[in-house]
Amino acid sequence: MDYRASTKQLIVFSIDLYRDRGSDMIEPENHREPESPDPDEIRRKHGEEMRNRFGRDMFNDFDIDDPRFGDNLFPILDEMLEKCPVARSHVGSGYWVVSRNADVRRIGQDWRTFSSAKGYQPNRPAGLPYLMPEESDPPKHTAWRDVLNPHLSPRAVAKYDAQIRADANTLIDRFIDRGECEFISEFGAKLPGWAFFKNVLGVPVDDLDQLVQGVHNGTFAPREERPAHFGKVFEYLGNYLTFRRDQPPRGDLVDTIAAGVEYEPGVLCPWEDRVSILVDLTFGGIATTTYVMAASLHYLATHPGVREALVDDPGSMDRAVEEFVRVFPPVVALGRTCTREVEVAGTKMKQGDFVLLNYAASSRDPRVVQEPTKIDITRESVLHSAFGVGVHRCIGSNLARLELKATFEEWLKRIPDFAVKGGTGPTYETGILRVMKQLHLVF
Amino acid sequence: MQVKIDAVLCSGHGRCAVLAPTVYKLDDNGYNADRGKTLEVPAGQEAAARKGAKLCPERAITLIEG
Ligand code: HEM
Ligand code: SF4
Repeated sequence: MDYRASTKQLIVFSIDLYRDRGSDMIEPENHREPESPDPDEIRRKHGEEMRNRFGRDMFNDFDIDDPRFGDNLFPILDEMLEKCPVARSHVGSGYWVVSRNADVRRIGQDWRTFSSAKGYQPNRPAGLPYLMPEESDPPKHTAWRDVLNPHLSPRAVAKYDAQIRADANTLIDRFIDRGECEFISEFGAKLPGWAFFKNVLGVPVDDLDQLVQGVHNGTFAPREERPAHFGKVFEYLGNYLTFRRDQPPRGDLVDTIAAGVEYEPGVLCPWEDRVSILVDLTFGGIATTTYVMAASLHYLATHPGVREALVDDPGSMDRAVEEFVRVFPPVVALGRTCTREVEVAGTKMKQGDFVLLNYAASSRDPRVVQEPTKIDITRESVLHSAFGVGVHRCIGSNLARLELKATFEEWLKRIPDFAVKGGTGPTYETGILRVMKQLHLVF
Repeated sequence: MQVKIDAVLCSGHGRCAVLAPTVYKLDDNGYNADRGKTLEVPAGQEAAARKGAKLCPERAITLIEG
């Protein structure tokens, strides 16, 4: 195909999209940014306004761990999308925050320029072991994803559906007669762990609470304490991997990890990397889905009309799941390190600069989602970046979707009518991840 | 109409196959089974093909209008 022909086809393509007004998505091609002046100028101009409104200038002096960010998460994300495509933080060695969908996508897809090998969090605590595949680049990353993907594809996880539903019911049985529950500790923090441990790892669930705690503290404890918490998780899972290496193979994901991959022909990866893979998967498996479950149930508890609509039309569940993941993102932002000088949305970044991909913001960018601040479970189509973009796309996304669908369906079957307990409300903790700490429901 | 699936950009979100199963299939790894290829869209499935392309989070699918 010659160049002119393909340009013509592209033009046809965008005209076509322009006509398709009924869709929930707007193509960036149709959206014109106002002429943007110097990005430093924009940040300066709106800084004062941010300080007055949120108590901190989130454009020029951002801090992802500042509670004022978590407390005003969505309004701040929307301000960033509108006015500040690249925000600046001076915490520690400093970092950038990129929010718009097209910019996030570009960075996520360009792993050569934006590397994961130096970690996913800004000011990474010293002494924290690297998590793979998350904190690696191709070709090592590719070698791992190639062998791991088949265990977590839509087809592979579909066979866990019945077990996950049975587990959801077992958990509900424990509190349904009481007429109330604390959702996080009694369900939300349990089911994802059970789903992952029982079906994927084949480990008993007795030690789950301890691991969930380790991962939580490894993420939210004061920076210098984080390595010790993660260290315990490494130790536990390292022991399990050694145990399984010496057992007859079961042909599962753990065997695949224990066998390792070759980084170069004939060069097998070190043992620590295999433990790291197991830790990263467990981390992802237990630290994220809980928030979507809890935030969605909180939303349904406070929006009876939407809840009834879901009960009446179970066919709408897939769309609802996708919309909930979009509007309740457990992964707020993860980062990359620039391998060379590069410009993003007018801002020059130097080699070695750290940049956060604001996934939570880019899923509510009005340039790609119509009325993005509205929660609408009937959206015919939902585009979001809650599972990331590029080669690090969440490997657990198919399992997470299955767990969410099973949870909402089984919950609504058993407990179609529920509310937030009087005098209580949800509490959150926010950093690069967002979690809900407590949710008291009555039914 | 044809659709071209970019071999590098597709990273296995699987949305295309959920939204337009008549046009897009996934392989055993959960990636578009026709990565790197250009497919003929079955007659009558043009709207589905467009929807899958628009909803791909990676923009890995290009429509080629016939
Ligand atoms: C709703 C639930 C979930 C959300 C929103 C989520 C979100 C994400 C995001 C945004 C990334 C991309 C990281 C990056 O760009 O650097 C990611 C990666 C990852 N997720 Fe998830 N995740 C979820 C559930 C899970 C589950 C259930 C598992 C485990 C089975 C998991 C395991 C992982 C792993 C191992 C990676 C790293 C992949 C790589 O670097 O190639 N996640 N997740
Ligand atoms: S939606 Fe896009 S990235 Fe996902 S499988 Fe289809 S083509 Fe690949």
